[in-house]
Amino acid sequence: MELLVSILALGSTYALLAAGIVIIYKASRVINFAHGELAIVGAYVFHSAGFLTGTTLTALSLFTAIVVAATASALFGVVIYFALMRRLLGRPTFVAAMVTIGLAIILKAAIVVIWNSRSVGIPIGRQALYNFAGGGRISWIDVISVLTCAAAFAALAIFFQLTRLGRQFRGAAENPLLAAQRQVNINLILAIAWSVAVFSAALAGVLFGSRSMLSPQSTIIGLSGLTAALVGGLDSLRGAAIGGLLVAAATYLTARLISPTLAETVPFLILLIVMSWRPWGLFGTVEEINRV
Amino acid sequence: MLPEPYQRAVIAIVVAVVLCLPVFSGDYFLHLMNLSLIAVIGAIGINLLTGYCGQLSLGQASFMAIGAFSTAILAQRYGMPFFVAIPASCCAGAAVGFLVGLPALRFRGIYLAITTLAMHYAIIYVLTNYQAIVGPSASAGITVPPPSIEGFKLTSERGWYYALLIAAAAVLMFSLNLARSYIGRAWVAIRDRDIAAETAGVNVPRYKLLAFTISAALAALAGSLGAYFTTVVTVEEYTLELAIIYLAMIIVGGMGSVVGSVFGAVFITLLPFAVQRAFDALPWHFGTGIFGVQEAAIGAAIIGFLLLEPDGLIEIYRRIATYFERWPFRYREIKPSGAR
Repeated sequence: MELLVSILALGSTYALLAAGIVIIYKASRVINFAHGELAIVGAYVFHSAGFLTGTTLTALSLFTAIVVAATASALFGVVIYFALMRRLLGRPTFVAAMVTIGLAIILKAAIVVIWNSRSVGIPIGRQALYNFAGGGRISWIDVISVLTCAAAFAALAIFFQLTRLGRQFRGAAENPLLAAQRQVNINLILAIAWSVAVFSAALAGVLFGSRSMLSPQSTIIGLSGLTAALVGGLDSLRGAAIGGLLVAAATYLTARLISPTLAETVPFLILLIVMSWRPWGLFGTVEEINRV
Repeated sequence: MLPEPYQRAVIAIVVAVVLCLPVFSGDYFLHLMNLSLIAVIGAIGINLLTGYCGQLSLGQASFMAIGAFSTAILAQRYGMPFFVAIPASCCAGAAVGFLVGLPALRFRGIYLAITTLAMHYAIIYVLTNYQAIVGPSASAGITVPPPSIEGFKLTSERGWYYALLIAAAAVLMFSLNLARSYIGRAWVAIRDRDIAAETAGVNVPRYKLLAFTISAALAALAGSLGAYFTTVVTVEEYTLELAIIYLAMIIVGGMGSVVGSVFGAVFITLLPFAVQRAFDALPWHFGTGIFGVQEAAIGAAIIGFLLLEPDGLIEIYRRIATYFERWPFRYREIKPSGAR
């Protein structure tokens, strides 16, 4: 039972990361390699904002942290789009992917420069919500993680399915040129995509930071998120949720049952299996162009 | 290959400067040059694969790790001399490159990059476990004895400079000629449009695998020489960051240009040291933040070159060369496409 809760909590973090990667991929066919870095930097910003005035988190400082981190990450997404990605429209998508690699290096370096690679944790919701007879427990943050993730996915689903902008977004993702000719503002759509993606990354980073310590090395979770997105299918939000849970389950069970060092490699082994079996993922669209 | 007298003059000057460098410079500078020369070999390797054949690879660091570990095992455990260990390491690298290249027959572009990324972690995991078993402890590496022949040991920076210079020059000439041969042109055809290349009679799977094999062999050579040069092999050296740094070298130097990879390798190798030198000159103190700035400089170089100068340093060189070549006229001649 405790195992299941841990997997669900970790899985929701991965699913949120995967959702961001999926949104960017859907909108612009770019794979964001900087996602883990964006998540961890977001978590560091949250931490700094929360501990700006004191050494403990109060309701007020928590509120400040949430507002600051949310605004900063959403704005940063827009900045990334207009400063970098917009100039790469029309160039091969792997160029944009390499630019995100460059961005990843800079963000990781920013943690070193601004926060001195300090290892920090975000102590929220560590209290036990429910204690099991066998010694295990569910903490508040587990529940918060799962609920936040569910809420985020519900919001995204509503956005894509029901709102006018969401429909335009899907249109732009399907065929940018035709969408642009039908008065869809591609720049707005892509800026929103980046903004939402960076926001969800920061959210995932904060949830991750509330469960384990943050350091420049934790940016590796971006690759777990990428694996989750690939497992589910790079253009499927539903796939992102299920992929996140699958990757979390595999990682967690390996760490528990076999060895923690192997667990670090597990996402990539899953990646290899998926790539050789179903490169378009469980729920993704079959892309003929990517196969020879 | 060198139709114009000025080109011969440039080559002659470059060769003379490179040969005389140790006379004028100290050990520290030569050390940086040696690091650059090792990087040159690895960068040429990845450029053949990514720049010429168009196969995006994040596996370069793992190929180098294979070369370094093969050397460490052969030289340290079995006491092989360097002239056996180095070619054997290249062969090991080539074999692994062939295996890693197999997915390239199914994927293109970014999917291939992700597959090689996964391969990187798989290889590094195996090597981590190996190091934990063989090394004195899990974190300490394997020491490598310096290469020696007839009692003469290669340890001085100056000796290393000339040895690495010979190796890098050999790789440079090999790659320049390879790029002009049928193989190189087949790679460029695959990069530009693989279906068209296949229609034109290029055996696409075969040449893709060949690109992986040769690229990995060169990376393993760089890894092997690096192992001898640093005298210790640890798996921690061969991170994903290293693979990205090699990618950065060819982005900065120029994709699809052997000479460009030389520029890029030297540029990216010296960049952190240049940053440090620049920050030392500043009046205030930075502490450990300097490491972050050094890394950020590499990231900034990748982004800057991709956005502003996608053809890299070699394109800047070409513009300057063309300016002087055509002087006093302003227009450059129209070069046949593919003549890089």
